[in-house]
Amino acid sequence: MKNYVKLVDFELKRFIKIYFVLIGMTIVLQIVGVILESRQYLDKATEAMYEYSVPLMEFVGQNGKFGLHRVLETGYFMIPIGLSVAALIFYCFFIWYRDWFGKNTFVYRLLMLPTARLNVLLAKASAIFLMVLGLVGIQLILLPIESTILQWIVPLDLRIDMSVSELVGQFGYGYLGLIIPNSFIQFLINYGIGFMHVFILFTAILFERSFRLRGIVYGVIYYIAAQVLFLFPIMIEVFFETGYLYPIEIFILEIILGLLVIGLSLWISNYLLNRKVTV
Amino acid sequence: MIEVKDISKNFGRKKVLKGVSFTANKGEITCLIGINGVGKTTIMNAIMNLTPIKSGEILIDGEKLSKKTFEKITFIPDAITMLPQMTIGEALQFMKDFYESWNSERANELLTFFRLKEEEKISSLSKGNTAKVNLLLGLALDVDYLLMDEPFTGIDIFSREQIAEVFTSHLVEDRGVIITTHEINDIEHLIDKVVLLDEGVVRKEFHTEEVRENEGKSVVDVMREVYKQ
Repeated sequence: MKNYVKLVDFELKRFIKIYFVLIGMTIVLQIVGVILESRQYLDKATEAMYEYSVPLMEFVGQNGKFGLHRVLETGYFMIPIGLSVAALIFYCFFIWYRDWFGKNTFVYRLLMLPTARLNVLLAKASAIFLMVLGLVGIQLILLPIESTILQWIVPLDLRIDMSVSELVGQFGYGYLGLIIPNSFIQFLINYGIGFMHVFILFTAILFERSFRLRGIVYGVIYYIAAQVLFLFPIMIEVFFETGYLYPIEIFILEIILGLLVIGLSLWISNYLLNRKVTV
Repeated sequence: MIEVKDISKNFGRKKVLKGVSFTANKGEITCLIGINGVGKTTIMNAIMNLTPIKSGEILIDGEKLSKKTFEKITFIPDAITMLPQMTIGEALQFMKDFYESWNSERANELLTFFRLKEEEKISSLSKGNTAKVNLLLGLALDVDYLLMDEPFTGIDIFSREQIAEVFTSHLVEDRGVIITTHEINDIEHLIDKVVLLDEGVVRKEFHTEEVRENEGKSVVDVMREVYKQ
């Protein structure tokens, strides 16, 4: 356990620089976006009302009131979030392959630590999990701050103030709702499925690291098989429309299957790490 | 004692090890000799469970390798096993964090002996100094067995001398050492036992002292006999 915690700490430190760059980029771009978009809207309103004497009500009728939801749909929000997601998905691969490639083959050290090799995998997964949660947390803190900035720039008559839950649920093409679900259960579902995928992917990577070229085939087969196993009840409903199970039953079945897939992935990974993996 | 019993391994269709057996005792330096590609590194990796074997068995003091064994045996590969962005000090701290058998006192002693500075970054070290740090990381563990893969390859003569000096010092004494090499000259006087490998099999296993006394032959003489057959 102690070694696991040390390994998590170590894995976090290894990505911390890039991680801080992601966080910095997200904060800067989003806040700059809020300021620029707010200013632009205000300029437009000022121009309409003062130069063309358009009444306030008419301007609002034509252009709608301004709010953070509008900025959510711009690149200022979508680019940093998209890049962070892409970086973390890329890191799911890189977190393994960086240990094998390059002059300094660190994988020797990791595999020779006097601790269960599964801890190495669990630490890598935990590091990714914590980094994802960190980014989500920062987004949650940023939204009210950005709302406040917007309120400083745009006067009350021209804006709609929305709470974080209103924002994430209804706007920005729903992408924010995906990363910040509005209920705890939904949160568990989204991130549970996300992490099931991380464990399946790690197993596939270990197949490749154990059997190399043949391992790629095994990995892909495992990835597909795990998906099929997980989605089995839903696929049956979609293809055969049997209506045999109630939605709640499907839901419970999915939870069981999700846990099963995670357990299976860990079991296979443990076997590969101890018996098959090659430096 | 490290017992390697009849191990085989294939790389694809190529049979790299075809039933290799030998033993390495505590308090002795055993040298695996063979040309490049003969499977020396593979044997080291197999002992440390860093690569799977097709058949056979490897025992360390009569037990199969487990996570606890890594406090008892360590491997120094031919490339350094630390992150290049770490400083030497950070690398030592890493080892201290994870290994109960880490001996800080000995680590400091080795730092002084090799004239290395803790604040130096591993990526900025010369080849010779990188090899020394790598050696230090293994030697500062209070383990019974040390495996070293080609510790003398590709480094300057003074570093080689320094490393050779380590072999005759208390840093290695009493431990069981397995080292691989394809050039015996530098270390002939250091080794107690030789395992000659060729085409995936052990051609001969002998104690240097016995051969020297009984037959009046050096390691190179025996090699000539075996390989020129």
